[in-house]
Amino acid sequence: MASDQTTGAGASAPTPSAEQIWDPVVRIFHWALVIAFVVTFGLGKFGPDQMTLHFYGGYTIAALVVLRVIWGFVGPRNARFTNFVKGPGAVLAYARTLPKRAPSHSRGHNPVGALFVVGILIVLGLQVMTGLLADPEDYINVGPLAKYVSIETARKALALHEPLGMIALIGVVAHIAAIGFYKRWKGENLVTPMITGRKSD
Amino acid sequence: MMRKFMTAALATAMILPAGLAVAGGPEDIAKARIGYYRLLGLEMDGLAAMAKGEIDYDAEAAKGHAANLSVLTQYSPKGLFAPGTSNADLPGQTRALPVIWENMAAMGEKGAAFRSAVAELAAVAGDGREALGPAVGKLGGTCKACHDDFRAKDY
Repeated sequence: MASDQTTGAGASAPTPSAEQIWDPVVRIFHWALVIAFVVTFGLGKFGPDQMTLHFYGGYTIAALVVLRVIWGFVGPRNARFTNFVKGPGAVLAYARTLPKRAPSHSRGHNPVGALFVVGILIVLGLQVMTGLLADPEDYINVGPLAKYVSIETARKALALHEPLGMIALIGVVAHIAAIGFYKRWKGENLVTPMITGRKSD
Repeated sequence: MMRKFMTAALATAMILPAGLAVAGGPEDIAKARIGYYRLLGLEMDGLAAMAKGEIDYDAEAAKGHAANLSVLTQYSPKGLFAPGTSNADLPGQTRALPVIWENMAAMGEKGAAFRSAVAELAAVAGDGREALGPAVGKLGGTCKACHDDFRAKDY
């Protein structure tokens, strides 16, 4: 069974018995990040002027991103960056299969999805950094690391923090749209595997 | 009488050109505006440091900061918001967004919230760190609320 958790590079027939493709750490990471992102983004945009809870949300996201990066080196096969981050050739080859009205049978992150995984981790990492360094000059919502940099740098961080949040949001919307596309166009359910860990198609 | 008049005329002749040179143009108004907010910031900085526990709470110092803030709320910032002094007019010299002049009433509401938060803080500044904390939080919140709508993030 363990040997079945390979890439599934071939066009192997759908296995009748669902196999585990997402380990518990990846799943808990994913849904914890969903909650943390929604809460932190919402608090940042619409929350109270005293942003203490937004800060805690940011620290949670920081911890999750660090955890996922570490897991990307030491975790099981489908969690490791070396196994799913592919070059432009593989990305284009996979992208060409996207219009097909058939499940991809991917076991783990496909080469295009990998771009989102790496992209969102980078954007969230930058978002955490700019948040830590930002100084909005209101004396109550100052990033904890702002005092170690010049006010010019703290302002730059502040100026980048909102656009980065929008980039992250656009990424999330694209991610959800892709899941909808797989479900409706390709007849492939990607949500259940992220809950149960198991994928049968 | 004549003497008094002459003195006044002479004084006016000497001060007026100097006054015009110092505080005449839009750039000087923008500088003065930044200076006003730096004064607020200096007092707020001392209060926030006490509220966060970065420095020990000192009732006299807290009351002093609050009293200075109260004085500054008596100052009418109307002149500081003369037309032609937004960051569109003076790029790189101010972060005041043109929307201030398009919606001065909304900006005025932010100012009113700030003044009432200062009054609340002044009432409790001498009552210990526990009392100071929430008042500083509320006051800082009024800074943020205005910055969000009316100030660019960077120059």
